[in-house]
Amino acid sequence: MIKPNSINNILSKISQKLAIDKLFSVTDMAKVESNFQIISEKYKAHSDPFGLDIIKTKEKINLLLPLYRNYFKVRIINPENAQYDRPLMVISNHTGQIPIDAMLITIAFVTDINPPRLLRSMVERFLNTLPFFGTWAAESGAVLGDRSNCQWLLQRGESILVFPEGVRGISKSTSQYYQMQRFTSGFFRLALYAGVDILPISVIGAEEFYPLVYHPWTIARALNLPALPLSASLLLGPLGIIPLPSPIDIRIGKIYSIPKNIEADAPDEFVDFHVNEIQKQIQEMIDIGLRERRDFFGAIKK
Amino acid sequence: MSTIIDLLKCRNILVIGMAGGLARITSTFLIKKYPHLKIIGIDEREVREKPSYSNISCQKIKYTRSNFEKLFRSCHFDIVLHLGRIGHAQSMRSKKRLDINVVETARILELCLKFKVKKAIILSTYHVYGALPDNQAFITEDLPLRASIKYPELRDVVEMDQVATNNMWKHQQDLTSIVLRPCSIIGPQIKNAMTSYLLSKYTPTPLDYNPIFQFIHEFDIGSIIIGCIERAPIGIYNVAPDGVISFRDAKKIISPTSPHIPIFLAEQLAKLVGSKNYFKLPRYLIDYVKFPCLISNAELKKHLGQDCFRYTSQEAIDLLRLSAE
Repeated sequence: MIKPNSINNILSKISQKLAIDKLFSVTDMAKVESNFQIISEKYKAHSDPFGLDIIKTKEKINLLLPLYRNYFKVRIINPENAQYDRPLMVISNHTGQIPIDAMLITIAFVTDINPPRLLRSMVERFLNTLPFFGTWAAESGAVLGDRSNCQWLLQRGESILVFPEGVRGISKSTSQYYQMQRFTSGFFRLALYAGVDILPISVIGAEEFYPLVYHPWTIARALNLPALPLSASLLLGPLGIIPLPSPIDIRIGKIYSIPKNIEADAPDEFVDFHVNEIQKQIQEMIDIGLRERRDFFGAIKK
Repeated sequence: MSTIIDLLKCRNILVIGMAGGLARITSTFLIKKYPHLKIIGIDEREVREKPSYSNISCQKIKYTRSNFEKLFRSCHFDIVLHLGRIGHAQSMRSKKRLDINVVETARILELCLKFKVKKAIILSTYHVYGALPDNQAFITEDLPLRASIKYPELRDVVEMDQVATNNMWKHQQDLTSIVLRPCSIIGPQIKNAMTSYLLSKYTPTPLDYNPIFQFIHEFDIGSIIIGCIERAPIGIYNVAPDGVISFRDAKKIISPTSPHIPIFLAEQLAKLVGSKNYFKLPRYLIDYVKFPCLISNAELKKHLGQDCFRYTSQEAIDLLRLSAE
């Protein structure tokens, strides 16, 4: 029989063999440790009903940090915009065929942004049905994207990560890369309800993780899947699951203060104006990011 | 009907399901607090362990027979506690369980109305909400009951709850009834599927899923039932303590030697060996160890107070471990 501890042992042995530990810089390790001491304070008082395991999350971030630094070469632009001592609703464009962008944003907010925050990312219900992945995501802070779950977290002073494009964002065809899909307005109503300000961010580079070839929607629906992107990477067999080393730029926008004169149940036209403004702000950041991005192959050589 | 019941002015209490541990615990608590009460405990099964109090009497009786009505006629019950729902740990065919749980609940409530019982408490379960991947954390009482969507075997659980709630609203002028939906009740005297599963050393723990759970200790649920008799108004209440614990952690505390296997293997194993002696969790309850089904206790706390629970989920698990040692 397999024990979860034995899996951890195997993983740590593999990481020792591959000398992954050596990829860590001492500064990074110390930073993760001290930031997690700050983050853990919040979770001492009550057990998390969504399954967050703060110790395992720290271990996972430690394990993924070499990839974050050396493979995806994540660069944070304007981190000073996130210097804010209240809970935030972080809104981002959603790219790539699997939500690796969410993982990188989460690591960024723990390691490279002050004050450090453990963002609780809102995920599709489909993820909860997957063996291992659902538990893995929940232990790392992911939460089913349900209105009452969001409210519960915001009321307790947590910061959340929302992708208002949903599955439409990560299942775009190649011709639609970096064109944002329509934002749903639910996130803005929740922010109004909880009185939490919004931090728009943009991610550049994740669209290139998996070059998309075809999107068989009929098969996806038949299999009861939210999306089924078939990428050219699949020609490599199981190795195709490894994303291409596209350099990632996370650009932090200016905080969008929540208006005080609108009720959470205000008519759509009042809410849509602000939703469109936020979407416009993120699209502008994407356009700037695309002009200033690093060269793909240049980043590999470096 | 008054929602506040002064138990000092009550005389006779009927406790249904006396062969079960919870009925014994609740009766004992009641008698300790109100020694003047006379409790009649009944069950369709043989009551093997009787509480050792002279004012608690027990008898085996069929709820659909005429002598059950005769009991109501002769005893003038003030309070009726229906704690006799047939759980899924007992080896019984679904059809028979449906018959007992639904038909007999309807009969009990009918007699409560007929003989002007002051308050009736019906013990349902959190299973009525169903364990589904899109369950929100902390389900409130007004959310739909989705248990039987996937598994028709759970129909009895939902239908019994609905019989009780329909009756409650329809006859609210004549009978104050309360439907309780507790989370997993555990304790050394409780013989339900969850307690057996946790205590069994060799039943597997899911390797690929780890839902968050709420557990209520047997003493806590006993006190909550008494609190509901005393001061809860008519309505439906979820019953779960504060604090949650992951299923894997709970199983690890109680039976650390339990093997970990992927859930699809556990499902096949359950089909092969059935739910009797080896695998202490029926196939249709496996989803409850796969997806979370957490309930909100806010409504109950409004009436019974913020400190109505003595033990958290973690403490209930620790106590079960201590009793198993």
